[in-house]
Amino acid sequence: MDLANKLKDKKFILRIFAAVATLLLPLLLGGGEYTLLLVCIIEVYIIAVSGLDIVFGYCGQISLGHAAFYAIGAYGTAILHNTLGWPILLTMIVSASVSALIGALLAYPASKLVFHFLSLSTIAFGEIVYQFLIHSPNKITGDFNGLSSGRFAIFGYAFKSNAVWYYFGLFCVVVFLTAKYFLVHSKTGRAFTAIRENTHAANGMGINVRKYKVMAFATSAFYTAFAGAMFMHLAGYIHPDTFTQRQSVLFLTMLLFGGSGTLVGPILGVIAVEVLIEALRSFQDYQVFIYGILMLIVIVALPGGLFGGFRDLAIYGKHKMLKKKSGTPA
Amino acid sequence: MLLNLIIAGLVLGSIYGLIALGYSLIYKASGLMSFVQGDIMTVGAYLGLTFYHILKLPFAVSFVLSIVSAFLIGMLLEKGVIRKLLSKNVMPIYVVLATIAISYIIQNGVMLGWGSITLYYPSVFSVTSVKVWAANVQPEALLCLGTALVCMVLLHFFMTKTKLGTAMRASAMDSMAAESCGINVSVSTGITWGLSAGLAAVGGMLLGPMYGVFPVLGATIGRKGFSGAVIGGYGNMYGSIVGGLLLGLTETLVAGYVSSVYKNLIAYIILLVFLFLKPTGIFNERAIQDV
Repeated sequence: MDLANKLKDKKFILRIFAAVATLLLPLLLGGGEYTLLLVCIIEVYIIAVSGLDIVFGYCGQISLGHAAFYAIGAYGTAILHNTLGWPILLTMIVSASVSALIGALLAYPASKLVFHFLSLSTIAFGEIVYQFLIHSPNKITGDFNGLSSGRFAIFGYAFKSNAVWYYFGLFCVVVFLTAKYFLVHSKTGRAFTAIRENTHAANGMGINVRKYKVMAFATSAFYTAFAGAMFMHLAGYIHPDTFTQRQSVLFLTMLLFGGSGTLVGPILGVIAVEVLIEALRSFQDYQVFIYGILMLIVIVALPGGLFGGFRDLAIYGKHKMLKKKSGTPA
Repeated sequence: MLLNLIIAGLVLGSIYGLIALGYSLIYKASGLMSFVQGDIMTVGAYLGLTFYHILKLPFAVSFVLSIVSAFLIGMLLEKGVIRKLLSKNVMPIYVVLATIAISYIIQNGVMLGWGSITLYYPSVFSVTSVKVWAANVQPEALLCLGTALVCMVLLHFFMTKTKLGTAMRASAMDSMAAESCGINVSVSTGITWGLSAGLAAVGGMLLGPMYGVFPVLGATIGRKGFSGAVIGGYGNMYGSIVGGLLLGLTETLVAGYVSSVYKNLIAYIILLVFLFLKPTGIFNERAIQDV
């Protein structure tokens, strides 16, 4: 009991340290504007990948088309703001909600499809959205020219530097992760997990499988679209090539790299993959080649993801400690 | 105009059909989905080009060599990656991602090896066009159509009439039961992946002389091949070819009469519509499990 309390305290202290460290990060990184931008992008990705985690990690439904939701968020906020002049924060929320609605509309007929065929339908959906981006009616999306948005401002406060944006991003991350925490620990979250573990059993227990699948998709689409909207206002300019299937695969890679079905997994995965991609940038032509090989190695060697690897290591360590304590041979 | 479009559609469709055939074969044999099929097609086209144009071998020889190489690549893929993953009992998503990773490696590797510019085959036949009714057709187009149909028939007889084909179907149905009957499941699944890769290479060798060869040649075709496979009924050999041909025809006709802008869009819309409304496809293949 004593030990447990201490451990709890230690964890608590560690958490406070971590929180303070993240708050001070922009100061610690100093003038490195590029590094700061990278951290901001990591924040965007954390939200997007957490969204994917809801549908894949918790509900067990695969999606290879999340770039489409990302695109709907990004283009939605830009188009609404540029043409109708709505306040940015409102357009972000509206475009994310529209994306959630589209996600639900997609999930309703798709919910009867399992694994491979669900992935095919999400790929098709992603491609349809991409085709729409590059050949839109009235060139509303700017086609191959992309779109740009004005200066990012919330409640009249203009964001002058990435450091300020960083705090906005951090706030969003905290809000979305907290919401995710409460969602997955609610009745809905438990229904998601039940569907992931065994759809038939979940159905037998009286869980409305289709309803919860639709909910998972809609929530997930909201997260990812909001991240897309954040990306729009961070980058200030978007191009259709950001929203190809490769982006969807990137989200999934990040999620699996960090470990799916956890709160920390997406964070770890996003940071690890993003840092890796940055490190590979100097290889230029060989970038994708090396990235592919590393991806393959990780998939074959470490299928539980980073978080899973750590967890296994921790369990292994605990076992050893217990063995030492009790003095029994293995 | 219409006849030309129809022939162009059938040619494109037969390529989709070959790719779809590979998907169906893999799905039937292992219940898996390979996302690398299109890129193996690219590799096949590049290998063919190397044998034919650079090493100056006869077309038929390069054709066979390219297919054999692709067959080996396919088997290697199954043995080196897929089997390893399956024996670890990982989530199925990892197999999907592994094939996607390999497709990245191929796309980039091909670019590093052969450069990113489009390369062209020297023409295969001495005549430049053949008259079919009122239309002038590239002889390569007829070769493409004919080969695709021959492949389908051969594959059908191979799967139903030969011992190896039967063994492959058995190991697909129930690998444990097949093993206890003395079938080497590991070998037969390997051959399945090899065959699919070989089919993709056939597609590449046929498409190369008409379209030219570039690193992402197979990426789009590979994705649209899924559409062809689903239209026909995923896992059905005849369905794959028929679905592929239908897709090719629709696409070309839409591009010819409406607008080429919608060419790609239509393929994916058809895929979605079939998945949602008739997931078992035209041939009512029951391979797709519903909840």
